[in-house]
Amino acid sequence: MIRVVDVHKRFGTLDVLKGVSFDVHRGNVLSMIGASGSGKSTLLRCINYLETPTSGDIFIDGESIGYRGDGSRPRRPRPLAEINRIRRDLGIVFQQFNLWPHMTVLGNVVEAPIRVRGMSRKEAEAIAEACLRRVRLLEKAHEYPARLSGGQQQRVAIARALAMQPKVMLFDEATSSLDPELTDEVLAVMRDLANDGTTMIVVTHEMAFARDVSDRVMFLHNGLVEEDGPAAQIFGAPKSERLRQFISKHVHA
Amino acid sequence: MNNWDRLVWNQREALLAGLQVTIEVCLISFAAAIVGGMVLCLLRMYVKPVRPIAIVLIEFFRATPILVQLLWVNYVWPELFGWPNTFFAAACTALAVQSSGYLAETFRAGIEAIPKGQREAAYSVGMSPALTFRRIVLPQVLLSSAPSIINQFTVIVKSSTLVSVITVQDLMFQSQKIVNIAYEPIEILTATAAMYIGFIFIVSMAGKLLADRLRRSYGIGSRLPT
Repeated sequence: MIRVVDVHKRFGTLDVLKGVSFDVHRGNVLSMIGASGSGKSTLLRCINYLETPTSGDIFIDGESIGYRGDGSRPRRPRPLAEINRIRRDLGIVFQQFNLWPHMTVLGNVVEAPIRVRGMSRKEAEAIAEACLRRVRLLEKAHEYPARLSGGQQQRVAIARALAMQPKVMLFDEATSSLDPELTDEVLAVMRDLANDGTTMIVVTHEMAFARDVSDRVMFLHNGLVEEDGPAAQIFGAPKSERLRQFISKHVHA
Repeated sequence: MNNWDRLVWNQREALLAGLQVTIEVCLISFAAAIVGGMVLCLLRMYVKPVRPIAIVLIEFFRATPILVQLLWVNYVWPELFGWPNTFFAAACTALAVQSSGYLAETFRAGIEAIPKGQREAAYSVGMSPALTFRRIVLPQVLLSSAPSIINQFTVIVKSSTLVSVITVQDLMFQSQKIVNIAYEPIEILTATAAMYIGFIFIVSMAGKLLADRLRRSYGIGSRLPT
């Protein structure tokens, strides 16, 4: 359903991604772990073209995000308008929430369904209410983001992404800027989504979450996939020495 | 009959007519300056080919004294562009042009202060750059620059006292006319000053109250958090 093919990303002279490929199937949860600077956030941002990969390609349901599929050689990059259309299918949740402060919670969630999908306000609100119920924040619908806690803001951000009914949800260290006592409420929502069969790609430092929820875990090191496998194998029987060190440092079982 | 009655109250029709012209000139220039400033700012920031032109215009508008600007727009523009064709339009244009230069820079600072994540969140749900600007960036910029925008309005009002040099009969013009006839400036100039203060006070208070109310309802301080 999502296919990442040999993605490279270079910032100036810095090679952040040096050729990463993987697939994620429908309903699966893939977690990406690794030290900071390993390229996992960049990889996630490349998937929905917030960063344009230097080379390589990303397919969603067989359709390339970055290039037109009209068979021309060399392939022509898509114009931004087309990338925008495909992006609707990829919901992303950011580390910093990025809620729009001048709109209410409900306003944040209905904005894209109304303005991008062209839904009526009534339709969009029905969807938004369902999404807010999923993140258990319906009662805050008419508050402004600044009046919410970090955990609540992040749950609204999840609802905002869900409201576009994306095929995949991407989480970019969604709990990293939260106080420890607030991470649980966000992780609980993410667990619910995973259990409901949402296809998810999760960049995380929450090893317990990666171990319990993911179907597959990918360990990135220096812009390459160092090890990749079922969660039980990655955490139970890591093959590479680096992964072993990483796990012993981060997992306190 | 005391001087106030004689010089101010009995001349109220002329003064109010002048005040009306002042209000019209200021409100029209202010609206035009906001639109013009935003256009200049966007050209400068996002339209590569015309960027140098936009920068030159902004600097030129900001660096020209208002008196020069008034005379220049009034006498040179009709030769160059065949417009403005009335003194009133020339006055509004000159005031708007000067303030648009300042506002363009205010807006640029405001746009640059919006965190990148605000835009990324919009792009990630499929919003186009234009839609993102209109729905996400612009409202936040207008709110965060509200104090500078209101300040620019007071600058316009004060600059507008010079429009009589191109024969626009504003409040200052009427007041000086009365002074020149009566040779008794104290009451008439005091009353004129009071009218300017009143006008500036009412408009800037209204602007400030509106901005504060929005901020309060968003639950934020003088700057938008992220």
